[in-house]
Amino acid sequence: MRGSMLAQQIVNGLMLGAIYMLMAVAFTLAIGVLNFLNFSLPGLFMLGGMVAYGFIKFGWPTLFAFAAALAVAALVSLLVERFAYRPMQGGDPEVPLVSSLGFLVLLENLMLIYFGSDQQAFPALVPDLNLRLGGLVIGIAQLGSLALSVLLVLWLSWFLSSTSTGRCIRTVAENRDTAVLMGIDTGRLVPMLFIASALLAAVAGLLFAVNYQQVSPFMGEGVGFKGVAAMIVGGMGSIWGAVLGGLLIGLAEVLSISFIGADVVNITVYGLLLVILILRPQGLLGRPATREKL
Amino acid sequence: MTAALSIQGLNKSFAGVRAITDLSFEVPKGVTTALIGPNGAGKTTVFNLVSGVYGVDAGTITANGVDITHMPSRKRISTGIARSFQNIRLMSHLTVLENMLVGQHVRNTSLRALLTPYRLFPNHRWKVEARAALAESGLEEWANETVGALPYGVRKRIDLVRATLAGASVLMLDEPAAGLNPSETNALRDHLKALMAKGITLLVVEHDMHFVDSICENVVVLNFGEKIAEGPLSQVRQNAKVREAYIGAEEV
Amino acid sequence: MSGYLTGVLVVLAFNVMAAYAVYLPLAAGQLNLGIAGFMAIGAYASAFLTNEYAWPMWAAIPVGAGLAGLTGLLIGIPVLRTHGIYLAMATFALGQVISALFLNLEVVGGAAGYPVSDYVGPNGVFLAAAAVVVLMLYLSRTRFALYLTAVKSDPTVADLLGVSVRGIQVAAFALGAAVAGFGGAFYAHHYNFVEAQHFNVLLSVFTVLYVLFGGTQTVWGPLVGAAFFTLAPELLRASDQWRYALFAVFIIVFMAIRPQGLVTTSLLRFARRKPAAESSEAA
Ligand SMILES: Nc1ncnc2c1ncn2[C@@H]1O[C@H](COP(=O)(O)OP(=O)(O)OP(=O)(O)O)[C@@H](O)[C@H]1O
Ligand SMILES: [Mg+2]
Repeated sequence: MRGSMLAQQIVNGLMLGAIYMLMAVAFTLAIGVLNFLNFSLPGLFMLGGMVAYGFIKFGWPTLFAFAAALAVAALVSLLVERFAYRPMQGGDPEVPLVSSLGFLVLLENLMLIYFGSDQQAFPALVPDLNLRLGGLVIGIAQLGSLALSVLLVLWLSWFLSSTSTGRCIRTVAENRDTAVLMGIDTGRLVPMLFIASALLAAVAGLLFAVNYQQVSPFMGEGVGFKGVAAMIVGGMGSIWGAVLGGLLIGLAEVLSISFIGADVVNITVYGLLLVILILRPQGLLGRPATREKL
Repeated sequence: MTAALSIQGLNKSFAGVRAITDLSFEVPKGVTTALIGPNGAGKTTVFNLVSGVYGVDAGTITANGVDITHMPSRKRISTGIARSFQNIRLMSHLTVLENMLVGQHVRNTSLRALLTPYRLFPNHRWKVEARAALAESGLEEWANETVGALPYGVRKRIDLVRATLAGASVLMLDEPAAGLNPSETNALRDHLKALMAKGITLLVVEHDMHFVDSICENVVVLNFGEKIAEGPLSQVRQNAKVREAYIGAEEV
Repeated sequence: MSGYLTGVLVVLAFNVMAAYAVYLPLAAGQLNLGIAGFMAIGAYASAFLTNEYAWPMWAAIPVGAGLAGLTGLLIGIPVLRTHGIYLAMATFALGQVISALFLNLEVVGGAAGYPVSDYVGPNGVFLAAAAVVVLMLYLSRTRFALYLTAVKSDPTVADLLGVSVRGIQVAAFALGAAVAGFGGAFYAHHYNFVEAQHFNVLLSVFTVLYVLFGGTQTVWGPLVGAAFFTLAPELLRASDQWRYALFAVFIIVFMAIRPQGLVTTSLLRFARRKPAAESSEAA
């Protein structure tokens, strides 16, 4: 009995981990390539869920509502690029971080004004079908989301390694100056990256809404911060690191809730992050930073 | 008499590429020495190894009789060896005077010095001393400017003055004359001669051979990280290897 | 003074203390996103000593601050080996862990919160904040402050000039933690109640926000930032719902226009020169 419960919790942990994984990949794109810890991403995650909820309530067909949510998130991300990222190039590194936090607060409060601060019930879109495998119960929505996240990440990793745009992005990640020397048009790449990370965050928000059937203006904070933790545990700038980190954090969270209690989640998750940062700051799959040249 | 700086069997490579190979030379006390060589020869790397920016792969470095090979970089300046930087490394958020005060740190390391509210006293001795050092180089007018916006030549000289404020007996100067106009170069020469007169030993990396000729007694020539010649400049000039190393580069 | 005004000023005093706790390490280039955790240590420690051991407040509060500083010192040593974003995240994680630990600590009430017996009035809080400001002004006149900026500006060269970069960083971090604990201890005794949920990420993050808004180049920045952030929302009271949204827009636009913050070195120098120039004109 205990064994099957453990297996069930592992499945739940992987599901939650898939959402953290998408968030971690979104953060890792921003950090690895642009060196920008973009705290507006939790806000874009929330927009993914809340805007879709709003349009469904309006009576839009579900798929249109989803598309609208993704489009809104992408547009807002371009504003973040314009106002939080672009003006700060060459200044203190903490300044764009603060401006992006400003966006998070703004988005949350706009949604708060419009929808109120309560949790809203997100309609059940997927029939409540369950797959039974031995003692395991796996929801169709769970399975679909997991598959979608994995496919998205696989596609992204293929895109970065096998297309010419992907190679340009990796050159920018290695060294911004070299990339400019090589004639790579960063003016076009940067907004693209902002859109890509916004879409990842918004998809994560949509999957969260569909799976847990609830949305609220503040839903981005907890998930977003754990996404950052996942990225760092795995190794900043590494997509597979983000995948590993996301799954680990998801498992750590679900297992500590079910075996110890809900109040200790922050201790295990952020304790794990702290230990990793002290023992192996570059994360599990990251490369260590090199000392500067004089 | 112990040498001001002694380097024995020094080796260093970066990611498998050799930057310094079996380098040995000495800078005797009071003998102004030049370290010259074509671009990329490894001159700055020698300074970085001596000041501890990088660890050595092999070899020993002795400053004023103290083995500093494995000493933490922070402690090396207290053995009496200070340096300037080829690419000028002033603290851009601080004023010129404040940069000088940081330069004095090694002579004021006590907790009491750390917590003395010197800024409350317009004529605190630290400031007086720093202003005097700036005045010697004709830089006092810049004292209260923030470093960031100053002209290149001014920053270059400030970098040098800051190095002198550590009270070191050995100064390593990385291309002090680079980018200076002729009158600035003359002022620099006078400044260095004044330092030599105070008994300070100079090790100078410099591409301007007239400048080297006018102040240095001994010259060490590096090429591809190896010493290819050593002696007075007039002698080194005749050396076939040196001529070969400089072919295509400037005239020696 | 009206009760309302006093209440606002007390909040201001707490924000000023928190601001300087963030400012100290930030002046050396280290972003501490876990300041609320250190406030929690000061608050709970001081409350525990007065409640359970009947310590007088004047002894319990400094011990609370000291414990927060000691934690900062012990944790700062390993954590400060990391830089930049890693350090920010490590302090962020630290803040989360500390507040979650108190949430689970039943001796201090756990999630239900912890009532505190001894009371400090508004004047005591004002005095505490004033003491912190005076200490910071004093430090800003010393080599310590000079080295903070030097370490932020160019740690490699500061090291080669003999400055103990790690020592300065750890000292700034631990001193900041102690200041946070000091403020936290007064918080506990002023409101007579502490709950772990209060010391959350947003408290840390907002503090960083107004310190950067005020500017970290001078010692006045955090004071101005804290004052602005405490008082401006009060003035925006009319549109209660909109005030945080408006405020966020303001921050974004402000940081885009003036990323170095409100109070800068050149601004202060300008302010100082002006009267001098006027008097020389008069002469
Ligand atoms: N941190 C480093 N990492 C990798 N390679 C390095 C590093 N520092 C120096 N090098 C290499 O070592 C060699 C010597 O460089 P160095 O800067 O010492 O030359 P230099 O003689 O000072 O030249 P210049 O006259 O141009 O200043 C060069 O090939 C350089 O690329
Ligand atoms: Mg060089």
